[in-house]
Amino acid sequence: MDEHLGERLVLNIPIGSFQLRFNLMTMIASWVVILILVLLALLLRRGLRQGIEEKPNRAQALVDAVMGLLENQFGAGFGSRQMARELLPFVGSLFLFVLFMNWISVVPFLGGAPTEDLNVPLSLGIMVLVVSHLVAIRTHGVGEYVRGRFKPFAFLFPLHVMGDLGRTTSHSFRLFGNLFGGGILITVFSTALVPLIVPVGLNLFFGLFAGLIQAFVFAMLAVIYINATVSN
Amino acid sequence: MANQAVQSGLVQAMKYLGAALCMAIGGVAPAFGEAQIVTRAIEGMARQPEIEGALFRAMIVGQSILETIAIYCLIVSIILLLVV
Repeated sequence: MDEHLGERLVLNIPIGSFQLRFNLMTMIASWVVILILVLLALLLRRGLRQGIEEKPNRAQALVDAVMGLLENQFGAGFGSRQMARELLPFVGSLFLFVLFMNWISVVPFLGGAPTEDLNVPLSLGIMVLVVSHLVAIRTHGVGEYVRGRFKPFAFLFPLHVMGDLGRTTSHSFRLFGNLFGGGILITVFSTALVPLIVPVGLNLFFGLFAGLIQAFVFAMLAVIYINATVSN
Repeated sequence: MANQAVQSGLVQAMKYLGAALCMAIGGVAPAFGEAQIVTRAIEGMARQPEIEGALFRAMIVGQSILETIAIYCLIVSIILLLVV
């Protein structure tokens, strides 16, 4: 079993002199997550078709609870009610996507969580960066936004750029590092040290619990970063 | 020839030692910082149970930001072990 450790199914697509490398298991696992989320959404939406006077059924109660949780936790972090209403779907789906990607690491033969591949957290982090700047431009207008970049002094502009880059780096590396570290620990334990029983507990802790916490933190930091960019 | 073998062995050993020290020392500081955060947060919760939710949220976010230091150490260790 040990000799296959670290091997990955990679799809190479040569373009000119360099190669595009795709980690197939990451893509398959994230598509499985997308499929699960879409199916869940469709299933739950069907459960919501009822009159407003009726007693809520189970699907309704579940969706209400989850949405209430998301709204309480993430909505409070935004600067204004309107921004919270507009960006909650984005942050909420970010949370659910990362959460299910972390949780899918406990499914065997899928090659670990997709978030253990640096490309996934990095693309999500860059997405948050782009969204935060777009929201800032839309809230303040282009002129005010560009002026804000040169405040309080014009020569601080490179510092703003560095801050954004560092923020995105730490945002995505945090998710990657946590998941990757947990994955390594589980692999080492289950192949080299104690192959029985203990990995179950480790999966429970690193896969489910830490996965939930990290997804929450990722979405929470997205809220904070968007808010900070807009308020500057 | 023998000298070179000794040297590459030394590089290997230093690589492992560096990775281990990086993780060990780099883990201590964020651990103390996070302990501080939890202590203060629980003190606050005990004093004012009505803002427990907000405190918990701030605690988790603060801890995760501090944990970045440990994560950077982990990445440096992994680079030392696998790349260098």
